[in-house]
Amino acid sequence: MTCSIELKNVSQSFGNNSSGSLGHKKSTSANMANKNKAATITLFKNLDLTINQGQSYAITGPSGAGKSSLLMLLSGLEKPTSGQGNFINDNQLSTLDTLRSDIGFIFQQFHLLPELTALHNVALPLKLRGDKHAISKAKHWLEKVGLSDRAGHKPSQLSGGEQQRVAIARALVFSPKFIFADEPTGNLDQHNAKEISDILFACCQENNAGLIIVTHSNAMARKAQHIYSLAGGELTKTPSIHVTEKQKVTKYLSTEEQQVASC
Amino acid sequence: MLNHHMQLAWYYFTQEYRQPHQRLLRWVQAILMVFIVTLSLSSNTIQQYLQGNLQNLLGADAVLTQKNKLTTDQFTSLTNSSDNVVTTMQISATLTFDDKWQRSKLKAVGSDYPLQGKLLTSSSLQSPPTVTIGGPTVGSIWLDSRLFASLTISMGDAISIGEQAFIVSRVLVHEPDRLMEGHNVAMRAIINVDDMEKLAFPTDLIQYRYLITASKPQIQQLIVWQQAHLPAAKIHHKNGSHPLASFWQRTENFLGLTSIILFFMAAIAIEQIAQVHLKKEQYFSAICMSLGASKVTGLQLSLLKWLINIMLLIPVVAILSGFFHWLIIGWLSESFTEISWQLELWLTVKTIATCTLLFAVFHSPVWLSLWQTSVAKLFNQNQKTISLAFIKLCALVVLILVAVKYSDNGLLTLMLVGSISITITLMIAISWAVLSLGEKATQQFSGLIPFSLFMMKQRLLSKSTQILGIGLSTFLLLFTLMLLNDLGNTMVSYQRTHDGNVMVSQASQSQMTAIEQWAQEHDISLRQTKPYFYAKVVKINNQTLSEFTQKPSDSLATLSNAIRLHWSETLPKNNSLVQGFWWQKETKNWQQISLEEEVMTDLGLSLGDKLTFIIHQQSHTFTITASHAYKPGAGSITFWVQMPQTAVQHINAPHYNMASLELNEGQWPLLSQLWEDYPTIRMVSLQELTKQFDNILTMITKVISGFAVMIILLAIIVILSSINALEDKEKKKNSVIMSFGFLKSTCLQLNVIEWLITALIIAIGAIAGTYLTGTLIYQSQFSLSYQPDLFILIITLAIILTTVTLLGVYASRHSLKSSVKQLMADV
Repeated sequence: MTCSIELKNVSQSFGNNSSGSLGHKKSTSANMANKNKAATITLFKNLDLTINQGQSYAITGPSGAGKSSLLMLLSGLEKPTSGQGNFINDNQLSTLDTLRSDIGFIFQQFHLLPELTALHNVALPLKLRGDKHAISKAKHWLEKVGLSDRAGHKPSQLSGGEQQRVAIARALVFSPKFIFADEPTGNLDQHNAKEISDILFACCQENNAGLIIVTHSNAMARKAQHIYSLAGGELTKTPSIHVTEKQKVTKYLSTEEQQVASC
Repeated sequence: MLNHHMQLAWYYFTQEYRQPHQRLLRWVQAILMVFIVTLSLSSNTIQQYLQGNLQNLLGADAVLTQKNKLTTDQFTSLTNSSDNVVTTMQISATLTFDDKWQRSKLKAVGSDYPLQGKLLTSSSLQSPPTVTIGGPTVGSIWLDSRLFASLTISMGDAISIGEQAFIVSRVLVHEPDRLMEGHNVAMRAIINVDDMEKLAFPTDLIQYRYLITASKPQIQQLIVWQQAHLPAAKIHHKNGSHPLASFWQRTENFLGLTSIILFFMAAIAIEQIAQVHLKKEQYFSAICMSLGASKVTGLQLSLLKWLINIMLLIPVVAILSGFFHWLIIGWLSESFTEISWQLELWLTVKTIATCTLLFAVFHSPVWLSLWQTSVAKLFNQNQKTISLAFIKLCALVVLILVAVKYSDNGLLTLMLVGSISITITLMIAISWAVLSLGEKATQQFSGLIPFSLFMMKQRLLSKSTQILGIGLSTFLLLFTLMLLNDLGNTMVSYQRTHDGNVMVSQASQSQMTAIEQWAQEHDISLRQTKPYFYAKVVKINNQTLSEFTQKPSDSLATLSNAIRLHWSETLPKNNSLVQGFWWQKETKNWQQISLEEEVMTDLGLSLGDKLTFIIHQQSHTFTITASHAYKPGAGSITFWVQMPQTAVQHINAPHYNMASLELNEGQWPLLSQLWEDYPTIRMVSLQELTKQFDNILTMITKVISGFAVMIILLAIIVILSSINALEDKEKKKNSVIMSFGFLKSTCLQLNVIEWLITALIIAIGAIAGTYLTGTLIYQSQFSLSYQPDLFILIITLAIILTTVTLLGVYASRHSLKSSVKQLMADV
C-alpha cells in the first residue's frame, strides 16, 4: 500500500517582516534591502508536484531559489501562501499535518545529540515512541550503515561521514514513509559524499521510503528516480537516468562499497 | 605591540558588546559586584554601629568581678592579656539626707571611666542627657533620678555617706557597663574612686569590677588565667552567655555566613555563564588563529577584552553601590539617628578587587583552554580535558580560601564548605540513583517518563552541572531561610513582650491597685505582676546560716538580708525545672519550696533540706522539693525562692508586688504624677536601656530580612543562568525530537517531566543538605537546637518542586521555540 504527497497549484510568498527563506539567508543586508524595495517576495507560483512512497526525488537549483522552502511545504512544516497540499494514504485524502509521524529528516549539519552515543542517538526516536526493543533495533541499523563497531562512540569522536551515517540510521529506524534530506552531503568530501548518498538511496529503497533530497550536487541528484530543478520560481522536471533500481543503486559502487550500500 | 593588541581587543569588545552571552555575563558580573560591594559597605557600617551600641550596653569587652582588689601581680597579668583596663568599685550603701535615708548601689569610678560606650548625665532632672567623660570630682556625687525623688534632694545639696558629705552635682542617666552587672533594680549613685578609699568600707563588702578591652583570643586567654589564678572571681564577656552577647555573636555569624553564601552563589552563577562563554571565546580565538594570529595573541586578546569589560563595569558598580549604600543607611537612619553614611573608598576598592580576582579565577578555565588548544581542537570545541577539571578544582580551592579570608569565622566557613561538599556528594549520588534506577525500572514501560529518565541518564554529565548549580543555590537559600526563621523566632523570645520599660520592684497591695487603675486610665500596658512576701532565712537544717556555711558567696550575702518569697501554683513560664518535682495545684503540703539552681549550688543545698524563714515576725520551715532556673523568653521577673499558693493562707504578712509596665514616649510625664501620689512605690525606669535594646533588635530584623531578599534574588539569577547555559542544547534537542515527527506539545510535556525529575533531585538533595548543615552548624555557631519538623519538610519539598519546575519550564520557554526549520537553517 503506497502513499503520496501532493502539492496542487501551490504558491509561496513572504512579506517584509517574515524571513523569506531559511535563517541563513535572512541576515544579509542585501536581502533586507531587496525586501524593503518589494513588499512581497514570491518564491514560486502555481506549482504542482506529487511525491510517491518508495520513489526518490532530487530538487536542485541555485541558492535562494526556494528549494528548502519547498521541502518544508512537502513535509507539512509550513503552509503555502495559496494552493493545497495533501497526503494521500490508501486513497484517503488528508492534510499534510497528518504526515508528521510518518516522516524523517536528514540535515546537512547531522544534528546528532552530542551527549549520546551513536547507538543511543539512533535509538532516540524509538525510545520516544516507547519501543521496548529500541536498542536492539538501533544496533541492527548501525550494522546496516556499517557502524556496528562505533556504537559506543559519541558524535565528537566520529568523522563527518560517520556522523551522517548515524543520522541516516536515526532517520530510518522508525520506518517513516518519507525521508526529507536537506543537502545531506553538503558538509562532506567527495568520497564521503558518494558513500553517504549510496547508503541513503539504498536504505530508503529497502525500506520503501520516499526520499526527497535538496542538493547542489549533480552526482547525487543523478541517483534519484525523479530530478527537479527550481529556478526563477519555476519547477521543471529534468530527465533522469532510467536504469533498474538495482542497477541504479549499485552502479557507482565498488564490491566493498556495495556491501555497505546494500543496506 | 600591546598597544596594537589593546586596539584590537577594544574593537572586538565593541563588536561583541551586544551579543547575548556578553550581555548576560556583564549583567551577572555587575549585579553580583553591586550586591557584594553594597553588602560589604552596609554590613561594615552596621557592624560599626552595632559595635558602638553594644559598647553602650556592655561598656567593655569583658568585666572581671571579685570581692578583693587585685594584687599588683594579678593586675599586671590582667593588663598583659588585654588592651586596656579600667577599675571600678561598687558597694551597697545607705545615703542620708536630712532625716531621709535610702539604700543604693554606690559606684566609684576614676577619670578613665567609661571604658567603652557613653556615660550619660544631666545637669538637672529636666535637662537632656549629655555624654560625660570621667566620673565625678572628689567630694561630688551623681545620683539617679529615683534617688532624687526618694531623698527629695536638689542639685547642690550635700548628702551624707558614713560621716562624709558629698555635693550632688549631676543626675546620673546611663552607665554603659550596667547590663554586665545582670538584673539589678537598686538605685544608683556614683562617686570618685579616691573618695571610696576615704570612706574606708570593710574590704569584703566592696566589689571590684575591672572593665577590660580585649580581643576574642585575649578574652579566651583571660578566662583561662582567671580559672587558674582567680577561681572565685567572675568574668562576663561579650562572647559569653549573656543574652545580648550571645545574640550579638549569632548576628555576627549570620552576617558572615550570608556573605560566604553570597560568594558561593556568585561563583555558581559565573561558572554557569562561563560554560556559554567558553565556547564563544574558543570560537573567537579559532577565528583569530586561523587568520594567522599566534596562540598568545588569542589569549592576550581574550584577557584584554575581559579586562576592558571589568574596567568599564567598575565605575558603574562603584557609583551604584555607593548609591545603594546611601539608600540603605538612609532607610536605617529613620530608626537610628546616629547612623550616618560615609564614603568608604578603601573598602569599596578592596571589595571590587576581591570580586575581580574571583571573576578572573572563574574565567580562568576559558584562558587555560585557549592556551592548551590548537586550531583543530578549537573548532571541535572539545574542552573536556583533565587539566580543565583541575583548574576548576583550583578555582574552587581559591574561592574557599577567599571565603575563609573574607569571613572572620574560619570554623563557620569551613563548616559551610564541608556542608556544601557533602551536599554536592549527596546530589551526585541522588542524581545517579534516581536516574539510573529510574531508567532501569521503567525500561519495560513505554511513554514519556521512561524516555525522560533515559535522556537524563544519557545526559547525566551535562545535566549534573545544572542540577548542582540549582541544587546548591536551593540548598543555600533553604538554609538561609531556615536560619532566618529560627533566628527570627529566637529574636522574638528576646523581645520585651513581657518586660516593660518601667520596673516596679516593690508595691504594696494598695499601691498595686492604684498602679493598675492608673495604667487602665492612661492605657498603659501592665505586662507582668508577681506577688511576694519579704522573708529572711534564719536557719538551714536547724543550723544558723553562719553555722551552715562559711564559704563566702553572692547567694549567702543576699540571703543574709530579707529576700522576696514568691508563690505560684504552677511553674512560671520563665523558669525551668532543674531537679525535683513542682507541687500539685492546691496542694495541702504547703511547707515546700523551690530554690534557684545557683543558690542551691552556692550553698551546697540538696532536695529535702529544710529552710526556716522569718516572715512578718513568724517562723515558718519549708522543705526544698524542687529547684528551678531562669529561662529567657517570658519576662525577666524571677524569684530565688518560690512556694505553693496554698501557703499564703497560712502566713499572715503584708503582700508586695513586682511588676513591669510599658510606657510610650508621651506617657513618661504621667509617671511623675503616680510617684507624687505614692512616693514609696519603688520603681525604676529602664527607658534608656530598653530603647537601645529595641533599636538593635529592630535593625537586626531589617538587616537579616534584607540579606534574605538578596539571597533569593541571587538564587533566581543562578537558576536563570544555569538554564541559559543549557538553552542551546535544549533547543537543539527539541528540534531533533520534532524532526522525528513529534509535536511541540510533546516537547513541552518532556520539558515538564524533565524539570519535575530535576526538581525532585534538587529538593531531596537540598533538604538533606540543609538537615546535615543544620545539625553541624546550628548548635556550635548559633546556640540553637536544630529540630526539623517533618510537616515543614514536606511542605518545603512541595514548594521546591513547584517553584523549580515552574521557573524551569518558564525560563526554558525559549528552548521550546524550536523547529525543524531551524535545524535546516543551521549551516
